Amino acid sequence: MATTTQVVGEKVPALGTERAVEWPQRTRRRLSNGLEVVLAESHTIPKFHAQLIFRSGNAVASLTVPGLADMVAQVVRTGTASRSSRKIEEGLRRLGADLACSAGADSSAISFSGLAEFSSSVLELVADLAQHATFPKDEFERERRQRLEELRIERTTPGFLAGERLRKELFGAHPYSIAAPTEMQVEQYRQEQLIDFYDANYVPANALLIAVGDFPSDKMLEEIERAFAGWSGGPPTRPEFPAPAKAAGRRVSVVHLPGAVQAQVLVGNLAITRRHPDWMRLTLANSIYGGAFNSRLVMNIREQKGYTYSPRSTVYPLREHGYVNVHAAVRNEVVAATLAEILYELDRMRAVPVGEQELDDARNYMSGVFSLGLGTQDAVGGQLATVYLNELPEDYLETYRQKIRALTAEDVLTAARKYLDSANAQIVVVGDAEQVREQAALYGPVKVFDQEGNAK
Amino acid sequence: MSGGLLSTLQIPIEGAKLNNGLRVVVSPDRTAPIVTVGVYYNIGFRLEPRGRSGFAHLFEHMMFQGSENAAKMQHIKLVNSSGGVLNGSTHYDVTNYFQAVPSNALARMLWLEADRMRALKVDEENLRNQRDVVKEEVRVNVMNRPYGGFPWLDLPPVAFRNWANAHNFYGDFADLDAATLEDVRTFFQTYYAPNNAVLLMVGDVEPQEGLRLAERYFGDIPSNSVPARADTDEPLQTEERRGQVEEKFGALPAIAIGYQAPARGTPDWFALAMLDQALHGGRVGRLYRRLVLEKQVAVDTEGGIQYPVGDLFDYNGPTLMVTRILHKPECTAEQTLAVFDEVIQEVQEKGVSEEELQQVKVKFRSDYFSMLEGGMGGYMPRYGLMHLLACFSLFDDEPERVNTILDGFGEVTPVQVQAVAQQYLVRQNRSIVLRQPVKKGEG
Repeated sequence: MATTTQVVGEKVPALGTERAVEWPQRTRRRLSNGLEVVLAESHTIPKFHAQLIFRSGNAVASLTVPGLADMVAQVVRTGTASRSSRKIEEGLRRLGADLACSAGADSSAISFSGLAEFSSSVLELVADLAQHATFPKDEFERERRQRLEELRIERTTPGFLAGERLRKELFGAHPYSIAAPTEMQVEQYRQEQLIDFYDANYVPANALLIAVGDFPSDKMLEEIERAFAGWSGGPPTRPEFPAPAKAAGRRVSVVHLPGAVQAQVLVGNLAITRRHPDWMRLTLANSIYGGAFNSRLVMNIREQKGYTYSPRSTVYPLREHGYVNVHAAVRNEVVAATLAEILYELDRMRAVPVGEQELDDARNYMSGVFSLGLGTQDAVGGQLATVYLNELPEDYLETYRQKIRALTAEDVLTAARKYLDSANAQIVVVGDAEQVREQAALYGPVKVFDQEGNAK
Repeated sequence: MSGGLLSTLQIPIEGAKLNNGLRVVVSPDRTAPIVTVGVYYNIGFRLEPRGRSGFAHLFEHMMFQGSENAAKMQHIKLVNSSGGVLNGSTHYDVTNYFQAVPSNALARMLWLEADRMRALKVDEENLRNQRDVVKEEVRVNVMNRPYGGFPWLDLPPVAFRNWANAHNFYGDFADLDAATLEDVRTFFQTYYAPNNAVLLMVGDVEPQEGLRLAERYFGDIPSNSVPARADTDEPLQTEERRGQVEEKFGALPAIAIGYQAPARGTPDWFALAMLDQALHGGRVGRLYRRLVLEKQVAVDTEGGIQYPVGDLFDYNGPTLMVTRILHKPECTAEQTLAVFDEVIQEVQEKGVSEEELQQVKVKFRSDYFSMLEGGMGGYMPRYGLMHLLACFSLFDDEPERVNTILDGFGEVTPVQVQAVAQQYLVRQNRSIVLRQPVKKGEG
């Protein structure tokens, strides 16, 4: 059952000498209106990739108006004081640009990219969206209907239902417990609520602009200053919420999905933010457990037992808290057997120190994959967003590999004992309740829910 | 401060053909100390054996189950522990295996790919295991989600008459169950020969060194006689084809429309690609604008050539330009199709303006750069460049086309766009599949 550590065969070519990984230099400025700007040059293609990120997401309003930041993001692109929806979309196409507006628990973002030759025009358009969006009534009503239909589809999607339930179980009364609004809540959105959220949160003092691409940084900085010069607005107040209570004991939630022919299994625990001193220890432990193809979980329930196609474990950092989540979509007959292996492998991480070879392989994996992010403008931008949104040290990118490589078996064991807490894990199974309930009940007291989240 | 190598579309390409027929393509780029290595075989699910639907994909899984000198899991372990990621995928006409790694692992990756090209070593247990894994893959991607497999599994059986183009590419479970180890050996022997493949190295590799390593690791793999390409032609379509399937989970009715597309690389193909972008290019595309934003009969429209499982470049046989519509339950399929037809009729009667075509070309060029740079969600740098180099090598023996193909799209005129709309977007050239929600809460 244990995966054995195989020594590299004698015919396998040795690794060559590593060429140094060099992260691009960053240019950082805070404009007089408070907008924080981070630029990095990457000349892979004649384009640029940028994100205008606001440090306010669904959590800000989730206890009163769940999903509001999502709805704002969905409507913000549909009109400004001087541009109709059609003019915005055609303008983007003329400039070879893409634009996506999104929101998460902690932030909202306008992500955009385009041909470097047209960067100033794209920035001007984005600045217009950030300052002068009008949330036209008819566009809002249409997008609201779109959102309702999306929600109806999401609530028939096993992965979505499982994630939604797990967040509720882990975060309780905290806003992070709400992954999506109900249909009723969406129907009650009012245009003024969108405008109020936008006015309060889409402001320079709450924003971070990251751009990576084929530009000289000084020229890009000038273009940004010009585009965003007239923008103003002080920081929003940020509500504070009591920390979620740690779970005491393992519990099982079954979400009944009529007609399901497979079971989506999730096992989760509360964990930590990216700023937490244990972050690297935990991500390394996770990569050994189930974060990589070559991990214990995948070896066990996919390659040895064939229960599932794509099992993985993931560590999700949120701004105030975080969680770990193990997932596998398995055939109905092996729900109990899958849970046995998931929990066994968690316990093994906690009980037995990882061997030197397996540890070394995992450290190499983590440090190597980190540098793959250098390959595209978008990925460099993603790394920069991680650093600056989380206020990580300025040398985070440059020192990451060396810090990962310094971690020990003791670090992995410590993190596993703290966060891979099998005894208090929350289990979610989405499927045909008739077929999965009894198997799931072997692992803790069961509650059954319908797709809307009502207890049955 | 000029742009990088891709910016001028003078992407450096060094190629060679080894004595055993293996094509090798190296495209150096020193941006970062990473390299993407791939092997593409000139066989996809279109030409898998009859009675063995889904076999090409099942076989792809078997290629990770062990080879002569790298037992099961060694391949995956060696890529991950070298700091890289890997995958494989099965397409209509090619199957690929690829990994992105720090460049100091290049030789090791070549050794691994050569080992499994030379001698796959798998047993009954591996086959049973991967058959189970593939079934769960089909369940998670098709059977247990709303609109699973729509329309990429639903359209071909309606649109095509030749089994090669029309069958279930993910595989009927009975066919997956029927697959034997002997089938695996035969498929490997038949198609997985060096003379039916191309090896690609894209990124931090010096071309002469790349070619030298290719010769060293792959040079002694014997070539094989690969069967002449089977007939994949379709009889001329003369009337609209219709089909209907059930939607178990979603509450919205859906429609897929597929028009038979012209052969790759022809003048009509260049023009259709521009028309495709005008119709399907996101929120500004004519279909989304009319159906979702203006008339509001639909909730979503998307589409493209080979949508959603392929692109403009990676096919080598009959294919469709597909539109997928999720429409509101209060509109009938016929009402929705009538709005769709208005859009098609307008472009047939009035064509596209010079201004619209110009916008479309700029966007196409921009998308093309992004595709070359990444193309797989950013985690596999240069996947898109590798993919294009491979397809142009295997289909046209001309990887250099990555540098010139944009010219052909740039030359398309409004007259040509209107002409392909009139010629191809006609009823007798299309197939329609309705995906109808099962009524709930009754009985």
